[in-house]
Amino acid sequence: MRENKTGLIALELVMIAAALLFLFPIILVFYNSLKSFGEVMRDVMALPHKLTFENYAYVWKYIDYPKLFLNNVIVTAVGLVGIILISSIAAYKLARTKTKLSGLIYFLIIIPMLIPFQSIMVTVLKLARDLHLANSVWGLGIQYWGLGAPMAVFIYHGFVKGVPKELDESATIDGASGFSLFFRIIFPLLKPVTATIAVIDIMWIWNDFLLPLLMVNGSADTKTLTLAAYTFVGQYNTDWQYTMTAVVMAVLPSILVFILLQKHIVKGVTAGAVKG
Amino acid sequence: MPKFGRRTFGKIEFGLFTLPVLIGIVLAFYIPFFMSMYYSLTDWNGISKHTNYIGFDNFKQIFSGDANFASASLLTMKFSLLFILLSNVLALLIAVLLDRNLKTSALLRAAFFIPYILSLIIVGFIWKFIFSQGFQSLAEMTGWGIFDWSWLGTPKMAFISVLLVSVWQSIGFYIVIYIAGLQSVPADLLEAATVDGAGPFRRFRSVTLPLLAPSVTIAVFMSLTNSIKVFDVILSLTGGGPGGSTYSVSFDIYRETFQNNLFGYGTAKALVLFVVVLLITVLQLTYFKRKEVEH
Repeated sequence: MRENKTGLIALELVMIAAALLFLFPIILVFYNSLKSFGEVMRDVMALPHKLTFENYAYVWKYIDYPKLFLNNVIVTAVGLVGIILISSIAAYKLARTKTKLSGLIYFLIIIPMLIPFQSIMVTVLKLARDLHLANSVWGLGIQYWGLGAPMAVFIYHGFVKGVPKELDESATIDGASGFSLFFRIIFPLLKPVTATIAVIDIMWIWNDFLLPLLMVNGSADTKTLTLAAYTFVGQYNTDWQYTMTAVVMAVLPSILVFILLQKHIVKGVTAGAVKG
Repeated sequence: MPKFGRRTFGKIEFGLFTLPVLIGIVLAFYIPFFMSMYYSLTDWNGISKHTNYIGFDNFKQIFSGDANFASASLLTMKFSLLFILLSNVLALLIAVLLDRNLKTSALLRAAFFIPYILSLIIVGFIWKFIFSQGFQSLAEMTGWGIFDWSWLGTPKMAFISVLLVSVWQSIGFYIVIYIAGLQSVPADLLEAATVDGAGPFRRFRSVTLPLLAPSVTIAVFMSLTNSIKVFDVILSLTGGGPGGSTYSVSFDIYRETFQNNLFGYGTAKALVLFVVVLLITVLQLTYFKRKEVEH
């Protein structure tokens, strides 16, 4: 099919303009975080006269950014590693075992995908308090294991079915069994789905708000990045130079990672949605 | 190895592989779910150890005398319908345009995807700044009335703002789903349609769209489950205001439970939400699955 060249170039220009307009709010927030309060109030649209990083120095110290960043890393890492471990082994065993019990367990595991978190959040909080998982970043990370497992098992299960059974059998002959067989032979083959699940879960846990709000909002030591930004913006309200700096500090890690891993992230999210 | 020993061993191994996930899911979903069923029949206030069994009083209250829940349900329904419609139509349109042979297709797709990687709370703050400060200075620059509207100040505009910001945040996700769907439409089918004299619109309606049905199912399903839970954007963009006009069901449950300390009542509302969401998702999935074509 022959495409109309001029039309295509025009379309391209229109789309680029649309994308720039689409991203303009983020760009605007970025450069306003480099202005003083007076400059923000005078004209939001104007570029900064001279770059000031005082806002960053102030917010960095006030919210203890390194601590928050570490908290986010702990919660996300604990959550992700747990979800991947327990879900991959279970999905593998369930896909390989063709019994009624196995089918029933699989059903019980994936059915909670239909339960909206808001409809159980009150008692999730009560149970977490009873189990001493509330008010701790490690405890928060652990709570994502169960919450993230249904989707992870679902995606792994579909993929394991495509891994030839002969692999297990030849490994058994070579003397490998149980966990060593799984982690040496099968798990490496699951790498593409593991990547998909990792992308989806990292985005979810890193940005999550409601669960951290319920669990770790009590102390400044346990706050996550989004939570701290929320509290900070609530306190500083219309000190836009500070609040927009806090916003930039909260989103910058995600945007940098996205720019670096853009293709993998888009691919992972698509694969997850199309399979899920 | 004796046969009996191996079978027992297999059972133990099955248990070792599946128990961790089962324990996790029982703790994360099933126990809280059954606890919710119990507490929804009580006057639990979240603090005192002592609760009274009050039967179905909470549910009677929800359906007879709770104006907040009724208006929050109405708002959530309106929001969900418009969100599903807007995000899917716009995403499909942009996906079709990006699917042409543009040099910057990949870059543009990434650009539209960026808001989706940001937390919804933060997105709400970004737009609060745009609506209040950015628009003010744009109004001075351009003199256009649209920037002078009170985007967060009246109930109607605040609702539209929440809707537009939500679409802005997640449209990249739906674009990506639709692009993946468009790429799986076989080129020879489209060529055959062209040979038969079908124009671009006819080709889209009669060939592309029916084959896109699986993507539509996924995208509508995702936009439905996400919009029905809307909470974060409202909290940071309007705070539920002005005058409580933008409370969603999730927001109402959150307020009832954690601000009014009516834990029993809150769990009852949450269960109502659960049943409604379950019904709608099952209906939607069966309806759309039936409309998909095999290829």
